[in-house]
Amino acid sequence: MSNPALDIASRAAGVAKFLSSEPVRKAKLGQTPHAVIHRDRQARLRWFAPAEPRHTPLFISMPLINTWTVFDLMPGRSVVAALLEAGVPVYLLDWGSAGPEDADLTLGRVIDGTLKRALLRAKRHARATYGAEAIDALGYCVGGSFLSVCLSRYPELARRMALLAAPVDFHASGRLATWADPETFPLDAIVDNLGNFPGSLMKTSFSWLKPGGQTGKWWGLWERFEKPGFPELWATMEAWSAAPTEFPGECYREYVRQCYFNNALVDGGWVLDGRPVDLKQGTIPALAIAAGGDHICTPEAAFGLERAWGGPVETVTLRGGHVGVCIGQSLPKALIAWAEAGG
Amino acid sequence: MPENVTSPFGDFDKLSGEMYRHWEKAMTDWWDQILDDPNFLGAVGKNLEVGVRARGSYQKSVDETLERMHLPTRSDLTRLAKIASLLEDRLLSMEDTLLEMNDKLESVERESIKARIESTETRLELRERLASLEARLEALESKPAAPRRARRKTPAKKDSA
Repeated sequence: MSNPALDIASRAAGVAKFLSSEPVRKAKLGQTPHAVIHRDRQARLRWFAPAEPRHTPLFISMPLINTWTVFDLMPGRSVVAALLEAGVPVYLLDWGSAGPEDADLTLGRVIDGTLKRALLRAKRHARATYGAEAIDALGYCVGGSFLSVCLSRYPELARRMALLAAPVDFHASGRLATWADPETFPLDAIVDNLGNFPGSLMKTSFSWLKPGGQTGKWWGLWERFEKPGFPELWATMEAWSAAPTEFPGECYREYVRQCYFNNALVDGGWVLDGRPVDLKQGTIPALAIAAGGDHICTPEAAFGLERAWGGPVETVTLRGGHVGVCIGQSLPKALIAWAEAGG
Repeated sequence: MPENVTSPFGDFDKLSGEMYRHWEKAMTDWWDQILDDPNFLGAVGKNLEVGVRARGSYQKSVDETLERMHLPTRSDLTRLAKIASLLEDRLLSMEDTLLEMNDKLESVERESIKARIESTETRLELRERLASLEARLEALESKPAAPRRARRKTPAKKDSA
């Protein structure tokens, strides 16, 4: 018969040994082989080639607030690898981390410049490599919100669009919407004095959105330490979340002002680079994917696309939270089903 | 604890897990009241504003000090990096133009190839027709000439005018 005290001591020793081996520092993210086919300032367009291309190539616009590796965390937990296995060529736009020289990069330059250019480059590459006349596009989180703006202005750039946990109705974003109040949030002071919006501040804000999350993560390690593969996944997630990226200052100012303060994607009245932002001009078929337990982009915020988008919109709710949805099995399945439906 | 995880701790694990979750819920409920309170958010916002302004002033004073010492400042380095970025932007615009031109050239080339193929096909058709005509002509020439009928002279019609 086992002695509970000894068992606890043994597990504690195991956890201590695991943590002392610096698993977070040693974690390797983004291991799927790929090539960088285009660069624009800090942004990189990464091309992942499947062994047997069977479906329309997929362009992915990642968020500007974290590294792209959340889509390629580790073997067995990689959205990109699952798509490749299903025969979907992937073009992933990694925004990189803004430097001090990018502080005056406007949202217009980001959407009409970097994002549009990356879509064009991906389309051109897909045509030359796979003979594909069109590509599909997926945007995650803020990368999805920006993608919807871009494709409403240039619908010829993609055949279909999917948004994953991408807020459209920002006033339905729960606590983030409460915090992003022009009365209390010193947006101008931050951008004027710091240049870019610091990744560390973003990380702290997100961790306070769910105060129990910090203790919960340690409890999770303790509770599931003996589950095969869990400590490695835990360390990889820690490594990913420890590397937030800097958000270009001017771009952040306009993003927060228009999207969070004015809810302009739904209510309108936003003129970007001299041209109105009107999602009703977006006519390609769209899919809005929400995560049921998402506290950063609630399903209501994501499904705002139904009211705002000009073309047909389908909605899907998957299990998981804002980040957890990327490491589960349901997202690759949903994306592969979407790819198969599109041919 | 999830059902698929086997644990040697048995009930103690279950109990401690439940205790943790109760504690977490109580903490979350307490924090929820604080974190959604406009007064608290106002105070945090003010605090953040003071903090970032202080950081900005500090950065400015560091820059001024370095400038007085004739040393490159952070702003100088940023300015240089910005120039490099602007150059990169111009290169990208040129690349865009080149790719567009390339597309147009390819399209013109495609059209021209199509036109050349069409013209070659027409020429081939003509050549085939010519060859068949030549063959018919040769065949006609190689046939022995038929005896000619004696022509009968017809009187010329008088002009009625």
